[in-house]
Amino acid sequence: MKITFPHMGNVYIAVEAFLRGLGHEPVTPPPSSRRTLELGSFHSPAEVCLPFKIALGNMLEGMAQGAEAVLMIGGWGPCRLGYYAEIQRLLLQALGREVEFITLEVPRRPYAPYAANLRKLIAPTRFSSLARGAGLSWAKLKAVEELEGLALKVRPREMRPGAATEYLQEQLERLRAAETAAEVEELRQAARRDLPQLAGRERNQPLRLGIVGEIYTVVEPFANLRLEERLGYLGVEVVRTISLVEWVTNHIFKKAAGLSSLAPLRRLAAGYLRGFIGGHGLESIARSVALARQNLDGIIHILPLSCMPEIVARGILPGLSREQGIPVLSLVVDEHTAEAGFQTRLEAFVDLVGRRVGSLGHRQSSVSRS
Amino acid sequence: MELGLASCVDCACLPLKAYVGHVQFLVQQGLSLLFVPQVVSLFPKEWTCSVLLGLPDLVKQYVPPSVRLLTPVLDARRGIHQLTLQYLHFGLQWARPSPVLRAWRKAVRAQRTWERAYQAVSSPGRFRLLLLGPRYLTDDPYLNGNLREKLRDLGAEVLCPADFSDATTAAACSLLRKRPYWTCTRRSLGALAHAVPQLDGVVTISPFGCGAEAMQGVLITSLTGTRIPHLELHVDEHTSPVGLFTRLEAFCDLLERKRSG
Repeated sequence: MKITFPHMGNVYIAVEAFLRGLGHEPVTPPPSSRRTLELGSFHSPAEVCLPFKIALGNMLEGMAQGAEAVLMIGGWGPCRLGYYAEIQRLLLQALGREVEFITLEVPRRPYAPYAANLRKLIAPTRFSSLARGAGLSWAKLKAVEELEGLALKVRPREMRPGAATEYLQEQLERLRAAETAAEVEELRQAARRDLPQLAGRERNQPLRLGIVGEIYTVVEPFANLRLEERLGYLGVEVVRTISLVEWVTNHIFKKAAGLSSLAPLRRLAAGYLRGFIGGHGLESIARSVALARQNLDGIIHILPLSCMPEIVARGILPGLSREQGIPVLSLVVDEHTAEAGFQTRLEAFVDLVGRRVGSLGHRQSSVSRS
Repeated sequence: MELGLASCVDCACLPLKAYVGHVQFLVQQGLSLLFVPQVVSLFPKEWTCSVLLGLPDLVKQYVPPSVRLLTPVLDARRGIHQLTLQYLHFGLQWARPSPVLRAWRKAVRAQRTWERAYQAVSSPGRFRLLLLGPRYLTDDPYLNGNLREKLRDLGAEVLCPADFSDATTAAACSLLRKRPYWTCTRRSLGALAHAVPQLDGVVTISPFGCGAEAMQGVLITSLTGTRIPHLELHVDEHTSPVGLFTRLEAFCDLLERKRSG
């Protein structure tokens, strides 16, 4: 079956491998673009959040390329994401598009549709190829994350601006084409060797900013207007707090095994937020405290407009910022976010943080302008 | 409202701003103890919403440290009787079991009397409308611009999800492929699915920026198709009652015209 799926950062590399392992033909939609968003927004309810619109646009573009089914994740709240798939199915149905929806979520009664879905998904496969596909997909996911992480470190230090991003794109293409775990490992080794060489001799320690917020807007460069790159070019080393590998481990493997625990996050967030509020609300608060303890220079909090859990987090962050002594910038994104305004706010924040670091005398600031 | 707007986080929904406004008012009166429960869930396997989950922690940001917050957790995800237990448990911090039990019974009775009195108000009209939305909007004349009263003046009989029992709405939701996991949305859609045959129109009211309500329109259309006219109202602090009234009038006119063929 030809299956399409929405984008989320570079996850498509792993999903492709997984679907191939299952014996399906993945139809990867073109990278999210203005067109994707317009297509998605046009058919979405007005007030629904940005990730929904982009994902719907991805699906429509994937279907235009001949996909017969859509793979999507579900859930049981309280975040809206859990209900996305169902709404998107209804919207596509109302458009008169014949497409199958395969929603991955923890099943609840009635079980029959889930069983049917699963059968469709694993029908063309043998166990050995499934296992190989899953293994390869996991290796790729880890490799993607490692490469992106290396690029974050190199970008503020690179000799020629843009070199790290170029290298990353090239390697990701290779990673996408890789067919065995050994190839993936080779690419990883190569990146570990090559990427650091793009960095110049270190004069000053660059500013270090952490990014927290709603997972999709953190991970998807189109949704956050290439936030990580922008910060990199402003001479900032970005510290990611959201790891997809970790997310998959926690939300899929551990939850299935009943081992998932929020206790460590709760301990971090103690005094600010008492527990789970849906989405990444608790994570945003807990990770912010962790970043403050790691002595980072500042935090950027990013959320889609009308994201309920992150609004709560946003209400709590100013207090956290005061008490933990770390500057926080909350950025809200939706389909009307303009690049220039976004850039200006980032520059202003980086300037402020740089000056603050300078005046605190921790170390010399090194905010270079590109 | 002004108090809430001045202090509450922007992007917050109207009811949250109003809530923070109430809190600020009470704090200004010099209160030292404030009851802000964390309402996680009111029905098994369902949630209220993320904002209510984070409410006590959010309110904490807006009150001086001298004010103590009482924040019992109300969570019915593992069974509706849990709610009662949680209330009683909360009460036991203050008094011995027998007065707690008595207070609980009294509270339940008072709530029931109020609900009954409230429902008795609805009177037959020329057409029947179902008003959907969170109760803090449908039942608050200030926040909804006195919507119910106006609809009644326009000759409508107004039904609410609260007129149907939880069992009814939960059962009626089986018409949807996936049951909504927010209690309010489930009640709304269940009431709609149940009452569709006897309805002339649907009015939904939701706070601007409410995540749960944003997707409800699609579900309503999937339930009713194009058979039943549907008016969607979004309110925030800038909504003027006059504009709201005009839309209601226009909607009721349309219903009237549709009826006379």
